[in-house]
Amino acid sequence: MRYWRSREALLVLPALAVYALLYLYPLSRLGVWSVFDPEPTLKNYRQLIADPVYAKALLNTLEVSFWVTVCALGLGYPLAYLMTTVSARARVWLMALIMVPFWTSILVRSFAWVVILGTNGIVNKTLIVLGLIEAPVRLLYNLIGVEIGMVHVLLPFMIFPLYGVMTQIDPALLRAGRSLGAPPWRAFVHIFLPLSLPGVAAGCVLVFLMAVGFYITPALLGGPQQITLATLIEMQVSDMLNWGFGATLSVLLVGAVATLFVIFTAALGLDRLTGTGKA
Amino acid sequence: MAIKRRGFLAGVGAGAGMAAVGPFFHVRPARADKGELVVVSWGGDYDDALRELVGEPYAKATGIKVKFDTPPENAKVKAMVEAKNVSWDILLTDIPAVLSLAKDKLLEPLDYGALDKKLVEAIPAGLRHPYAVGQRIYAFNIVYNTKAFPKGKHPTTWADVWDAKKFPGGRTFNFRGGIAPQLEIALIADGVAMDKVYPLDVERAWKSMDRLKPIVSKWYVSHAEAIQLIAAGEAVVGCTIGSRATSARKAGGAVDVDYNQGKVSPDNWCLVKDSANKKVALDFINFALDPKRQAEVSKRVPYGPSNKDAFAHLTPAEAADLNTAPDNIKKQFWWDVAWWGTPGADGKTERDRQAERYAQWMVKG
Repeated sequence: MRYWRSREALLVLPALAVYALLYLYPLSRLGVWSVFDPEPTLKNYRQLIADPVYAKALLNTLEVSFWVTVCALGLGYPLAYLMTTVSARARVWLMALIMVPFWTSILVRSFAWVVILGTNGIVNKTLIVLGLIEAPVRLLYNLIGVEIGMVHVLLPFMIFPLYGVMTQIDPALLRAGRSLGAPPWRAFVHIFLPLSLPGVAAGCVLVFLMAVGFYITPALLGGPQQITLATLIEMQVSDMLNWGFGATLSVLLVGAVATLFVIFTAALGLDRLTGTGKA
Repeated sequence: MAIKRRGFLAGVGAGAGMAAVGPFFHVRPARADKGELVVVSWGGDYDDALRELVGEPYAKATGIKVKFDTPPENAKVKAMVEAKNVSWDILLTDIPAVLSLAKDKLLEPLDYGALDKKLVEAIPAGLRHPYAVGQRIYAFNIVYNTKAFPKGKHPTTWADVWDAKKFPGGRTFNFRGGIAPQLEIALIADGVAMDKVYPLDVERAWKSMDRLKPIVSKWYVSHAEAIQLIAAGEAVVGCTIGSRATSARKAGGAVDVDYNQGKVSPDNWCLVKDSANKKVALDFINFALDPKRQAEVSKRVPYGPSNKDAFAHLTPAEAADLNTAPDNIKKQFWWDVAWWGTPGADGKTERDRQAERYAQWMVKG
């Protein structure tokens, strides 16, 4: 048994090597940059602490990401459930529809939102014609705009882990519950929902972590209150060539995300997060 | 200036991770070997015009192939020079980028002695920087939606742009993308005369920005976005590149430009440090500064030529659409490189300080 395990472990070595080279190495360089200029210094960290703007940007980032995760779960869960109940043919179509955002350029997509959500956009015009509102509502360049744009892109990352876990749930368990007298909602709440939680946890972690690093969508669809840490990192690295401070902000972001990940893990159990454990 | 920074955004993909990893791994589609010159600019229509009207004739005349690459991001130049693997020769970029690059010693000083004397004299002294020479002129102008405000009833001063009662509707101004906050324009809106803006009264400018903030419907990231916002009526007036508005108007868009109180600045030729083709590069720059060639390029894409003699090759109608035409340039003022770019005791320039402050001002809400 043990022998086989170590042989299997060999299979992940190439992936680990790529990961170490392309991810861990640059990441460690970031850590180094943040404390050398070129002599060892803590000035970048002093600047980070001295100015509350970076804490505010981190909070903006977490706020945007939190709501994206909540909305993606709210929309993704029923969709994933629907996918387990429809015919194989319908499922292929649903999958294709979910994947469409991936195939569109991020800029085209963001400009398309202006046509739909803008003050002269379809949504506002329809609502005015229907008499539901008198003046156009601001749907862009605020939290609503960013949420819509980001949920649209990240929804597949919620749906696929959910769907993966849901297909593993034995329908016989639900039938057993029903045959013992549980009404459908009760069978769902007591059997299906708990069994699907690993997918919920995996989807939420995936979506949240990806949302934290987003910067084009918040930049294009958000306003001043949606300026994320990633935006400020990009500004330091690209515009100001201050790689040391950019690296420091990246360390802050990675540190915050790692801390959150530890908290999630402790609260939910790592086996649940990876979807491999018994729920 | 970041005429084409949007291309950069598109290329970088989604994520801080990418932004951070970018400098480590970048693809080199073009190589500066013998017999090939690599020119890097912000892409788009202007690059097409350069390729066709300058690059191809140059290759024909000299046998040296000119390759165009995009975008000339500072971070890429830095990575290239530090890795001692310089694959670019010439950049066409804005003064903020030139200042950043020069500060980090990533450019070669420009040898004006190697350029044609007559050409150099036809280029205004302000456009001759130790590390860069002006090629095309862009300007931050009042750009407005012609459906919201027909020509003649449109905002004609920055004070009008600040006045949401007289001219109702959203505004759009730049944030990020390497463009400095529009402090000069904020001062002019507050009543400072155009020729008296420098040295900037920074506190007064930020107070004026405070008054602008509530009426801005979108802080744009790229100039293409600004034009799109104004053409679509998401904003009725804004501060963006007038040349782009002219292009959009010619294509049938509901936008136009007013040159009054515009802030003018050059995009410049500069040499990448340790370029293997310095001599050829200077020769190419000389070729590109030719008045007739500049006039041809300006006819195609309406940016102002840096060479004054170019107007001898343009009709009055063609000249009217260019920001450096005599009638237009007198209504505008030049961006002051010295004020923004001189490093202080702490090594930081005003550009560094005001960009930091811009982010803080924005995030604080």
